[in-house]
Amino acid sequence: MRRNSTPELIPDKVNPRLPGGFNVPPFGIQQTLAVIIVCIALWAVGAIWLGVQAASQWVGGWQDDIHIHVYLDTANASQEPELRSALEAIPQISALRKISPEEAARWMQEWLDNAGLNQKELVSRLPITFELSLNDEQSQFLFDDIRDAATRHGGAVNESEVDMAQAHQWIAQAEYLAWFASLILALAMALIISNTLRMMLLARADEIHLMRLMGAKEWFVRMPFILEGMLLGGIAGIAAWILLWPLLLGTGEWLEMLQVDLNMWVLLLPLLLGGALVGAFGALVATARVDSSEKAG
Amino acid sequence: MQQLMLRYPTGKVALSGVTLDIHQGQFVYLIGESGAGKSSLMKMLYGGVRPSSGQLSVQQIDMREAGEARIREIRQRTGIIFQDHKLLFARTVFENVALPLRVQGWKTERLIPRVRKVLEYVGLADRLWSYPQALSGGEQQRVAIARAMTANPSIIIADEPTGNLDIETASRVLDYLMDLNRQGATVIMATHDLHLLESHPGRVIQLHAGSLAGGDL
Repeated sequence: MRRNSTPELIPDKVNPRLPGGFNVPPFGIQQTLAVIIVCIALWAVGAIWLGVQAASQWVGGWQDDIHIHVYLDTANASQEPELRSALEAIPQISALRKISPEEAARWMQEWLDNAGLNQKELVSRLPITFELSLNDEQSQFLFDDIRDAATRHGGAVNESEVDMAQAHQWIAQAEYLAWFASLILALAMALIISNTLRMMLLARADEIHLMRLMGAKEWFVRMPFILEGMLLGGIAGIAAWILLWPLLLGTGEWLEMLQVDLNMWVLLLPLLLGGALVGAFGALVATARVDSSEKAG
Repeated sequence: MQQLMLRYPTGKVALSGVTLDIHQGQFVYLIGESGAGKSSLMKMLYGGVRPSSGQLSVQQIDMREAGEARIREIRQRTGIIFQDHKLLFARTVFENVALPLRVQGWKTERLIPRVRKVLEYVGLADRLWSYPQALSGGEQQRVAIARAMTANPSIIIADEPTGNLDIETASRVLDYLMDLNRQGATVIMATHDLHLLESHPGRVIQLHAGSLAGGDL
């Protein structure tokens, strides 16, 4: 506050803080707190989606190489041609290869780290094995068809491999949960911003009342609060994005081991725009009930 | 206005059967005891409350039927002065006075000379960047007058603007309002300070219990 005895002239370049319209009010402690809380929530949303992105890449990485093995006991060897035909008739199977007992035994020896098993004995005990390559593991009844073909002819499917091949379903479920969590967090963020702006509205009730008495349009009265809400959300979005980098850098080695290469830039716009959208929604909720007895009409 | 009646939702009848005309350029005093209906009548003039029955036209706009846009139009052409000033204490004198222009969409560069001129007129050019709480009661009322006149309104409604002021300051406030009236604005002022009527004559309308008491004085 300046109180001079000499006249204070208005300088040529002056930027008074006039309310209303597109003028955003100055930030106070409440707004800063709201930004911090919304930033934490947006960080959580970003981390969830980074996790989904990582899981998708990881699953996608090994799912391309996955094969399903169908076993037929040597006692049922007579069923082999029928089983082969039944499996070849399934359209989602792109290739079918019979693995020779020698190859299977060699692979098993390697897997058991050359445990010194008798190769001949191993070959005689191993079942007849078909290796199936799939062209569409997401097909709805594929694994049921394979299981059905195998059991009809005395065979069995490696169920662990089936579970692995169906991992895309887990990812889809995880994505569904991620959307759900994002929605809940978005509502919480909108509530925080709405509450903050409601306090601002109460603090500026006299100003709003006066502007209406002077004939201000409703958009003119409400626009600063909507802009403020968008700004709060947008700033929180950028801050959350920046704070996700340490998470990415901290897990870098682990991600590299899983052959996952996450793209942080993909999250920048969603976090920024998502934050602004949530802020605008919160502001709309807060200003929806701004009423005064002097409102025109 | 004709047979104007105002009943609040609580059932209280604030005005009843008020018929009078106020022409552009008049200086009108509304007098009467507390609760006589002065403030209610003035609120109706800027659309703060709507008449319950009767007819009220302000600048050819029917205030009973007017939509929000027309009410806003009236308010933009009306300067309102309150007894308690209703200044924004978190904003400077300059910002307070610039508010009506800002509401009307004036750009900052355009409103600066206007605000400067108005504040010079009320003798507060040296208090541009002061906050209202640093001003005396008389100075605050002058800021309120400056705010009311800054958009060059055709009607000035003043609700007991001298209520909290000493005689000398009140007289100065009246001088400003008289001057604005001479420049063409219609001034409607509610007051209890009947002694001011001698030094600053004008048309007097007396209200009593929501009705005109003995017509114009």
